[in-house]
Amino acid sequence: MIRIENLSVAFGRTEVVKHVSLDLRDGEILGVVGESGSGKSVTALTLMGLVSDSARMTSGRILFDDVVLREAGKPLDRALYRSYQGAKMSMVFQEPQTSLNPTQRVGRQVEEVLRLHGTLTKEERKKKVLETFLAVGLKDAERVYASYPHQLSGGMRQRAMIAMAVILHPRLIVADEPTTALDVTIQNQIMALLRGINQKQNNAMLFITHDLNLARRICHRVAVMKDGHVVELGTAEEIFERPGEEYTRRLVEAVPSRMKRISDAESDRKTGSESPVLEVRGLSVYYQEGGNSLFSAQRKRRAVEGADFAVYPGESLGLVGESGCGKTSLSKAILGMNRRIEGEIIHHSVRPQMVFQDPYSSLNPAKTIGWLLQEPLRAAGALDRSLAMTKGDMEAAAYDMLRRVGMGEEYFHRRPSELSGGQRQRISIGQALISGPGFLIADEPVSALDVTIQAQIMELMRRLQREMNLACLFISHDINVVYKMCDRIMIMKDGRIIEIGKTEEVFENPREEYTKLLLKEG
Amino acid sequence: MKQAGGTKWNKYFVAGLLMTGLAVLLGILGMFWTPYSTTAMSAAEKFSPPSLRHFFGTDNFGRDIFSRVMQGLGTTVAISSLVVLFSGGIGILLGALTGYFGGLLDEAVMRVTDAVNGFPSILLTLVIISILGSGRQNVILSLGIVFVPSYVRIVRGEFIRLRDADYISRARLMGVGRLRILFVHILPNIFSVFWVSVMIGFNNAILAESGMSYLGIGVQAPDASLGNMLSDAQGYLQSAPWYALAPGLTIVWLVLGFSLFGEGVRRRSGVS
Amino acid sequence: MKYLGKKIITLIMTLFLVSAAAFLAFQIIPGDVVTSILGTEATPEREQQLREELGLDNPPIVRYFNWVAGVLKGDLGVSYRYSKNMNEMMPVAELIGDKLPVTLWLAAAAFVLIALISIPLGVFWAKCASVPKRGSACLSGFLDAALGVATQAAMAVPSFFLGILVTFLFGIVLRLFAPGGYVGYKEDFWSFLGYLLFPALSIAIPKIAMTARFLRNSMLTELRADYVRTAYSKGCTGRRVLYGHVLRNAMMPVVTFLGMIVAEVVAGSIVIEQVFGLPGIGRLLISSISTRDFPVVEILILYITFVVIFVYFIVDILYRVIDPRVSEK
Repeated sequence: MIRIENLSVAFGRTEVVKHVSLDLRDGEILGVVGESGSGKSVTALTLMGLVSDSARMTSGRILFDDVVLREAGKPLDRALYRSYQGAKMSMVFQEPQTSLNPTQRVGRQVEEVLRLHGTLTKEERKKKVLETFLAVGLKDAERVYASYPHQLSGGMRQRAMIAMAVILHPRLIVADEPTTALDVTIQNQIMALLRGINQKQNNAMLFITHDLNLARRICHRVAVMKDGHVVELGTAEEIFERPGEEYTRRLVEAVPSRMKRISDAESDRKTGSESPVLEVRGLSVYYQEGGNSLFSAQRKRRAVEGADFAVYPGESLGLVGESGCGKTSLSKAILGMNRRIEGEIIHHSVRPQMVFQDPYSSLNPAKTIGWLLQEPLRAAGALDRSLAMTKGDMEAAAYDMLRRVGMGEEYFHRRPSELSGGQRQRISIGQALISGPGFLIADEPVSALDVTIQAQIMELMRRLQREMNLACLFISHDINVVYKMCDRIMIMKDGRIIEIGKTEEVFENPREEYTKLLLKEG
Repeated sequence: MKQAGGTKWNKYFVAGLLMTGLAVLLGILGMFWTPYSTTAMSAAEKFSPPSLRHFFGTDNFGRDIFSRVMQGLGTTVAISSLVVLFSGGIGILLGALTGYFGGLLDEAVMRVTDAVNGFPSILLTLVIISILGSGRQNVILSLGIVFVPSYVRIVRGEFIRLRDADYISRARLMGVGRLRILFVHILPNIFSVFWVSVMIGFNNAILAESGMSYLGIGVQAPDASLGNMLSDAQGYLQSAPWYALAPGLTIVWLVLGFSLFGEGVRRRSGVS
Repeated sequence: MKYLGKKIITLIMTLFLVSAAAFLAFQIIPGDVVTSILGTEATPEREQQLREELGLDNPPIVRYFNWVAGVLKGDLGVSYRYSKNMNEMMPVAELIGDKLPVTLWLAAAAFVLIALISIPLGVFWAKCASVPKRGSACLSGFLDAALGVATQAAMAVPSFFLGILVTFLFGIVLRLFAPGGYVGYKEDFWSFLGYLLFPALSIAIPKIAMTARFLRNSMLTELRADYVRTAYSKGCTGRRVLYGHVLRNAMMPVVTFLGMIVAEVVAGSIVIEQVFGLPGIGRLLISSISTRDFPVVEILILYITFVVIFVYFIVDILYRVIDPRVSEK
């Protein structure tokens, strides 16, 4: 029913989508999978007629039920497109936070679709919006109708977006990473909702994602995109079980799945016999609410409650939980960045370091890589004269670290802005490790990276851990990543550590319901 | 970030550089040398229109307007430079300390800054001038004080933004000292924003100084200043419009130059 | 409502602080007021008498509270400089009396011009700028660039020079008004407003340029927002997206910006009065400063502060009305 034939799209001189052909039948969910920059979003936006004006269609055409919506070389017929947009084809976007107009009531925004297509009266429109809200699981429909987007939670906003997309029962729904910005449990509900709609309304769905697990669970067929090309197209089973192309295989293998574990070889290391590098006893962490104004009273909120654990030399301990569960508060407290705490934190290592999630903000943009790698040594020397090194020694150490994190000497004089995300994360790791700390906290160090890069960084961290006998607290929302990296695992929910144990044991015999839920979704 | 090379010599930057460069050079020259004496009167040449002999014509005393504009330009450039130096210097220091450390000092400084920022700057200058009296030094001092808050606000905002940046948190974990974090780690990252506000500061200083001189409470005769000349020339608008146009357009030239320069600097460094 | 109460308390506190600062600042100035009024050759008895008359023998704090109490009762004190006749001093209230409305009307007229012209101009400009620069869109590209240059230039002209240019062009060359002419607002309000038009325009033009630029940039930023794409995906026309979704969001920062401009407009009217010879408080303020007539200066500063703070207050309330996100916090 939908056919994309030989589509190429260019921004200026660079083609970002190259000769893509896809087709979709009613009721079918087609996944488009690829890493960032693979052209998957541009393909979807072009199909929807939403790609920015600076993009040019250089070849191919798009057909909807044999009607040519768009053809290369012909100007975009906006009026034709408008009659399809919202009515026959609709889109769900990645960021429910920003995809809704912040200053308009949600009900009115959904209702606008009805106002643009069709002739319902005001009362009928409102009734239909409320019905649709109920259908997408927004139980308090009246309240949602009268709310502004910021008054709703992320999951509710995405439901409202979905209501907007399905209210006219379109034949095609394009979903561009609809769950990426949401928490795991919410993610699952949204996926179930989309699937339910697909079955009930029998519409075709183009599902765009970077998450292969997700694609595997929901899609009938999957197209793998790389550098603007569709490299492989087949049923979900074919793609995941018998990938035909080298790139697909790499992509599938890079997904942290439970099949392979990096830490297998030494998974039976003895914990407890050595003395720990970090002990945490009965730790509660608070943060202040209500700002510092004279008028508003200060309130203390507990972010972490009664945490008890220890980290041993050379091991990596995984910390898993959804956003807001207190994992970042815990790590900040351990590193002394938040002093509103109760309980004990005992460090047996010197100056523990941290690697952050966002590779773009973890390196000072004004400095060169060489300078950045030497700064921890300079700082250590300034604090303790006995550790002071000569300029030449520091430079040598920096070059050595550059090599150890797998980067060439030529990067020594470059600045962070010239590096890719994965390269920056390598430098961050190197900078954290150059002064030889015994303990490292890694807060979602690979979450912002593409899957193939993710695998490389995890590999690197494991190797350096072995070489330096480094203890690591590895924080992630992705239970699969933790499975791959960690010897032991802690599950955190609402500020409490609800389960802790050896990784295999937790995975094979989870004690808590919540852990089971997380495992099922991962 | 990638097109940084292309925007390095953008047209705003080049135009601004040329315009301000020319004006500043003429001004500096005017402090030491002018084609004619700025005080020599000549009844014979009263109100002669612009010519090759007198580029901008002559005034009601037959004085060469071009020479007086050069001298006035010198006064304006000197005063606004000192004002920017004074307020920018104090602004960086206060902004860095309050932004990074916060606390009581921050609270106090912000209250004062907010109050001053909300107040028409020229009015505040008037108050200070009425207390101190008019004249060159007092103009510099009063404008310097009045413009401090705008720098504090910008620098403070940047320090607050960067105080919690991941790379600064990491520097703290490495054990880097506070002063080193302030001035070695953070400061270089705010220069691009700071330079843009310096350009805006120049503009405000030029406009304020000439405005005060126009109102007769700034630079006093016999020192030539562009504002003074305008106020003198206003009476002869009908008979000698060039007398008013010369200093007026010079101010416009200078201000336009600085704003283009500022815009160029902004585009160069990608500050938004 | 609770918010409103808080705001009013802050407003009163600010006024109190400014009045204290303004009053006390003039107490630290060296020089004896009495000597400057009477000259150096007055008898000590006469000096003492005047001192008591002006309440100068009290400590500054007492004098401040007397002054505030007076102001609240409508007694604004007496001028050091002007006198009604040989024996009677000139009350500040009488001196300011009919000058204040002139300045306020001038500022109001300028502000109305700014709002009325800059908003449509900014929207139009944003429309020109958002058309892709390709093919038939030449004209809008040209308009975008032209407006860029024009506003850049307009912002560089100081208001007093603009006033002189306006006088020269409209007054002397085109003879649309008589430079230096003026009709009091009590005599004929409409011709009074007519005389305010050109001064108001001189204040407004640079601010119009600034505001239009600001609105243009704000709209272009909003046009890149995600919700715009959502609106298009529903089948909205470009026009509907612009007026139904983008404009309101883009206006939020512009409202704040317009509020901030008020202070500048009031200051601008003080300067422009000098250029056009309007009998507002600007001239009085300047001459009082030059002659060190502090009671007048104090009252004028208090007045202007009150106006500015009051406008900020209004803008703040307005902002809460139009932006649903603020009232939540």
